[in-house]
Amino acid sequence: MSITVATGVDGGSDTAGGQLAIQVLNLTKVYPGGTTAVDSITFDVKEGEIFGLLGPNGAGKTTTIKMITTLAKQTSGTVSVFGVDVSRSPERVRQMLGFVPQAISVDGDLTGYENLLIFAKLFYVNPDERKKRISEALEYFGLADRGDDLVKHYSGGMMRRLEIAQALVNRPRLLFLDEPSIGLDPYSRMQVIKQIKDLNRSFGTTIFVTTHDMMEADELCDRLAIMNMGKIAISGSPMELKKSVGGDVLTVSTSGTLPGTIPGELGTLVSAQQGELKILTDDGERAIPRVTDFLEGRGVTVESVSLSRPTLDDVFMKYAKSGLQEGSFRDARSARRSISRHGR
Amino acid sequence: MSYPRRLIGSAFTIAEMEARKIRHDSTELWMRTVQPALWLLIFGEVFNNIRNLPIPGGFSYVQYIAPGVLAQSVLFVAIFYGITIVWERDVGLLTKLLSTPSPRLAIVVGKALAAGVRGIFQGVMIFALALIIGVNLRFDPLDVAGVFLVVVLFAMCFASLSMTLASFLKTRDRMMGIGQAITIPLFFGSNAIYPISLMPGWLQAVSRFNPLTYVVDAMRSMLLTGDYTGLPLDIAALLVSTAIFVACASVMLKRLIE
Repeated sequence: MSITVATGVDGGSDTAGGQLAIQVLNLTKVYPGGTTAVDSITFDVKEGEIFGLLGPNGAGKTTTIKMITTLAKQTSGTVSVFGVDVSRSPERVRQMLGFVPQAISVDGDLTGYENLLIFAKLFYVNPDERKKRISEALEYFGLADRGDDLVKHYSGGMMRRLEIAQALVNRPRLLFLDEPSIGLDPYSRMQVIKQIKDLNRSFGTTIFVTTHDMMEADELCDRLAIMNMGKIAISGSPMELKKSVGGDVLTVSTSGTLPGTIPGELGTLVSAQQGELKILTDDGERAIPRVTDFLEGRGVTVESVSLSRPTLDDVFMKYAKSGLQEGSFRDARSARRSISRHGR
Repeated sequence: MSYPRRLIGSAFTIAEMEARKIRHDSTELWMRTVQPALWLLIFGEVFNNIRNLPIPGGFSYVQYIAPGVLAQSVLFVAIFYGITIVWERDVGLLTKLLSTPSPRLAIVVGKALAAGVRGIFQGVMIFALALIIGVNLRFDPLDVAGVFLVVVLFAMCFASLSMTLASFLKTRDRMMGIGQAITIPLFFGSNAIYPISLMPGWLQAVSRFNPLTYVVDAMRSMLLTGDYTGLPLDIAALLVSTAIFVACASVMLKRLIE
């Protein structure tokens, strides 16, 4: 398993470092029928970060991706990728980006090797490096022994890995992944997440990912934005977002006389009823021993302590309730269908 | 890399992609030779016995329809390229192709070239069949090369037309329907299997606007008569319509993914 770290990236002559990978300004898309899919959104993605765009289906995520990747024209607003305006120089922008669409998009009638070869050629990867990169990518993604098999005989997880392998061959500065792990089993999913992280770390590839899976978003993303009904509802780091829906809550079961107040450094006492204390605190794990010590010092016997922390699910439910369930179900089904189509 | 180099490079890469698929599984191509074979072996042989068909130049009926059957089979191959592109849209492949830095024109030209490659295969098979059953054609190397050139242009022309239609119709079912609706009238409204002089007046007029008529005429002049007087017009008509349809398809293609 060896990956040569890229000294330069194909295409894109802009200077790197501290630059914005994506700058979206008042971006709007109105479809001919009059539906506003994306409603004047503004956000940035910094170079080198993993940025997640979350939201229920129909929130406008895919439309947003299509506009950034030059596949659809915006109605108004501007998008630039590493400082290049997408409407003015779409081909220059496409030279810098890789795109893994939601539906499995590898070609089942070609071998794994050929899929990588053809797309490397379409990306104008230097012919002297092409072969080496392809065999490295196949090796790294555990597909080396299946490289000469037709992709339609691959499993869904292998197809997904092959798609991400394309990014390893083409080395885009910016990689888009639309629901990368949908329809995959937990093991394949874990591998895909790990490989996305590796790609980000080894090559400094900026990654833009959309997902419904909050665990995945939490694990993967440096920053994320939640989109709902064409607007960005909130954005920030996963930590910040979780803080925004409230801190950790300690529930302490005790026997004995409960204190009416607790010292401020332990947290805020939310309720104290029937031997049960609820304490709101910033860092629940650290608070557990201190709360226990404090109560025992007051002659209160602590029977159990449980900690509940807000998850991104809570954040999601707060900012993007509508349509979530229906959306994720439909997506999973269509992804599964696309896998079975390829595996004819 | 300069634009023309990227354009040509990518077009050939797309064509290579198709060629590799054919190499993995060429069943479809072989199946597609059945129909022209039947036209020559059965239809051709039976109608050969009708002596009073006014065929110009004193050729036999099988000789007369061989170029027509070739043109027809290329037409059938090419017109279904729209279905392929809709299929590729459905499986996400088109999105992937359009997100590469390759120019859209290159993708259309590449697909059209791929139709040409399939057309050449049809040509080789029909020539082989003609040799086997003893249909006398002028197998002059330059003429054969000329016929292949016409085959490639013709395939490119109708593959692009089909991709343009696909950009509007957007589903495979509709493309199947339109494919049938286009190919059959074009075929019977041309000089492919009978001389235009046999047609009723109104159909004769229509056939003058049928690109298939010009293609068959060009092939016939190279394979049978050796009379090239109509050839420049035939080729010019074909080149112009190919250029128009290729341009339309590259502008319209993105409608499929919007």
